[in-house]
Amino acid sequence: MAADVHNKAVPWETANGSLAPVERLRQDRCDSPTPGLVEGTEPGAGQDSHMFVHAQSFEDLTADGDDTRAEAAGSENTSRLGEPADEGAQGLPSEEEQVEEKESHPGSRAKEEDVTSEAWRRHRKHVFVLSEAGKPIYSRYGTEEALSSTMGVMMALVSFVEAEKNIIRSIHADGYKVVFLRKSPLVLVGVAQTLQSERDLSRELHYIYYQIISLLTLTQLNHIFQHKQNYDLRRLLAGSEHLTDNLLKLLDRDPGLLLSAVTCLPLSSSVRDVISSSLQAAKAKNLVFSILLAGSHLVTLVRKKDQYLHHMDLHLLFNLVGSSSSFREGEGWTPICLPKFNTAGFFHAHISYLEPGTDLCLILVSTDREDFFNLSDCKHRFLERLRRRTAYQALQEALKNPSYSVSQVGIPELRHFLYKSKSSGLYTSPEFPVPYQSEEEQERIMELYQYLHSRIHHPTRPLRFIYCCGESENLLAWVTSGFELYLCFSPLGTKALAVSAINKLLKWIRKEEDRLFILSPQTY
Amino acid sequence: MSARRASALREDSSSSSDEKQFLQRCPSTNEYFDIAFKVMLLGDSAVGKTCFLVQFKDGAFLAGNFIATVGIDFRNKVVTVDNLKVKLQIWDTAGQERFRSVTHAYYRDAQALLLLYDITSKSSFDNIRAWLTEIHEYAQKDVVIMLLGNKSDMVHERVIKQEEGQKLAREYGVPFMETSAKTGVNVELAFLAVAKELKQRVSQQPNEPKFQIHEYIESQKQKSGCCGFM
Repeated sequence: MAADVHNKAVPWETANGSLAPVERLRQDRCDSPTPGLVEGTEPGAGQDSHMFVHAQSFEDLTADGDDTRAEAAGSENTSRLGEPADEGAQGLPSEEEQVEEKESHPGSRAKEEDVTSEAWRRHRKHVFVLSEAGKPIYSRYGTEEALSSTMGVMMALVSFVEAEKNIIRSIHADGYKVVFLRKSPLVLVGVAQTLQSERDLSRELHYIYYQIISLLTLTQLNHIFQHKQNYDLRRLLAGSEHLTDNLLKLLDRDPGLLLSAVTCLPLSSSVRDVISSSLQAAKAKNLVFSILLAGSHLVTLVRKKDQYLHHMDLHLLFNLVGSSSSFREGEGWTPICLPKFNTAGFFHAHISYLEPGTDLCLILVSTDREDFFNLSDCKHRFLERLRRRTAYQALQEALKNPSYSVSQVGIPELRHFLYKSKSSGLYTSPEFPVPYQSEEEQERIMELYQYLHSRIHHPTRPLRFIYCCGESENLLAWVTSGFELYLCFSPLGTKALAVSAINKLLKWIRKEEDRLFILSPQTY
Repeated sequence: MSARRASALREDSSSSSDEKQFLQRCPSTNEYFDIAFKVMLLGDSAVGKTCFLVQFKDGAFLAGNFIATVGIDFRNKVVTVDNLKVKLQIWDTAGQERFRSVTHAYYRDAQALLLLYDITSKSSFDNIRAWLTEIHEYAQKDVVIMLLGNKSDMVHERVIKQEEGQKLAREYGVPFMETSAKTGVNVELAFLAVAKELKQRVSQQPNEPKFQIHEYIESQKQKSGCCGFM
């Protein structure tokens, strides 16, 4: 179980010291990749068990209702760049175009917006949810009432195509992608001008769908619409709009939702182990998951044996905690459905911050709806145990720097990166450096990452490697069966430099992995 | 510390066997208390339950955007009633329909219910009858109920007259007052009256006159200002 056993077991360093001979990889990309790059041995891979439901990526999310990967080359009309993409350098979409399209939305919900105005049309990404009767349930911008006829048209499109025993997936026109997701009894529609693929947009619509399920359960949702087809679901979802709004914001900004992964608070493994074991000791009969969060970073997660959490369910919990200020003061107690676990029933979550004024939030998930006082007691036992240990100070110290600077890696051209270990479902990423500190810039770089992600995971022409040059930065993405890596370089860097940086970065991540990842997840 | 409290208790309470179990430590606030009661806030969404609680607990008003409570929010506050430390364990509930099942599960534990409506929202007032029906179904038979018309500071938006609230309260035999979570009018009184009533029930001596919650709040409450009856 010791950390070094893991390291020894992994034939990570190849003879010539090169981790990934990119040249060779290019020649025989079908052959098995270099050891250490394969699943289970990549930096950050868990040692003996996983915390999460094993999910390669987002494939499992789109698998239902998605076509099998057609081998035939897809039509090129989706590519705005016009170039069929394979590995190699490639231009980024022009910057001017993006800046022009950029709309800054104020933080609050822009509900009163005039839906006939040009500003409303120019939003980068609209999301609509409606019932099969065509009744509006949610719109990201503008009121549902004002949009009822628009949603009626959407439903008409869906029904028209279905009448021919067919399914409408998307419409591509005039720089817009209109993506439909049919999840009976709901219909979700995304209208985007972003660089994302239809598939990634559909993945985001799945998130919105599961967000709704997490509030109601699918069983209840089906029950309602079986009894009353024209039910106004907004009645049951009242007060949850800000959860969906916030989730859409996270989808634009949080790399975790893009990568289908979770990031950890950097913490020495000994400290994390003490916290995990304290959490482990504070158990109760019906407790299924204990999750300690610091902001959007996972500190530790303890689960019941044989019960796995899906990263998507965890993101929904993150979203719930992050968008509600009411947990700050008291102790929250709420039913929540974890749709990737079970769409039929509710768990009950005890949510509280460890101490006033801290970012440490503890989520205890139980199967019993009358478990509040038991879980409240668990929390107090955990906190008392933790307070006696020096690890608590170390944790408080770590909270002051929940992220790290990219300069620690020691690659001057490297500005930012995302690294996801596929087998553990965890990712790591430094804080955004100077040119990306504004919200607009962060969303811009995230959109570029989303673009790379879309290209890499293209349903008909998936890529392993992509290098793009832009005006403001150069980007590189590389996936193996073990990890996904997205790098952002200064625009003055070269491709050769970028390729050599991969090697150095992977070595650094390997060196730091017990701090950046949770290598030995705990169960009760 | 605790010895003093115990003697304070002895003055109020006749049964000495109860004393020891009153002396407990409240884990979340680390404050000593003599007796604890569970109070629940109920009412439609957006009538101001959370603001009402925050005003009582911290003396502050949550201005700005409306953030719906998720599920149930549990907080403690220790108040002093007749030299006795009373811990109020307060359940702040979400008003939304989808949380009804979870709130029902906690009704029967509650010893007092503060039922709020918004004087600027007719529907929240109309739903009070439905809330009272629910209360009779799920809550303890001897639960203390108080009806509160919140947002009494919003005189210009008022649609429910104070008399209407009064009439409804009389019909159900529950005490009533108008409150403002924003200005703090009658907020503390509501909790204190409930605490007094509950305390009296526990430690009532046979010859002591019964605590009259109706009369108490009538004598203590502040009217909602000169324009309140317009």
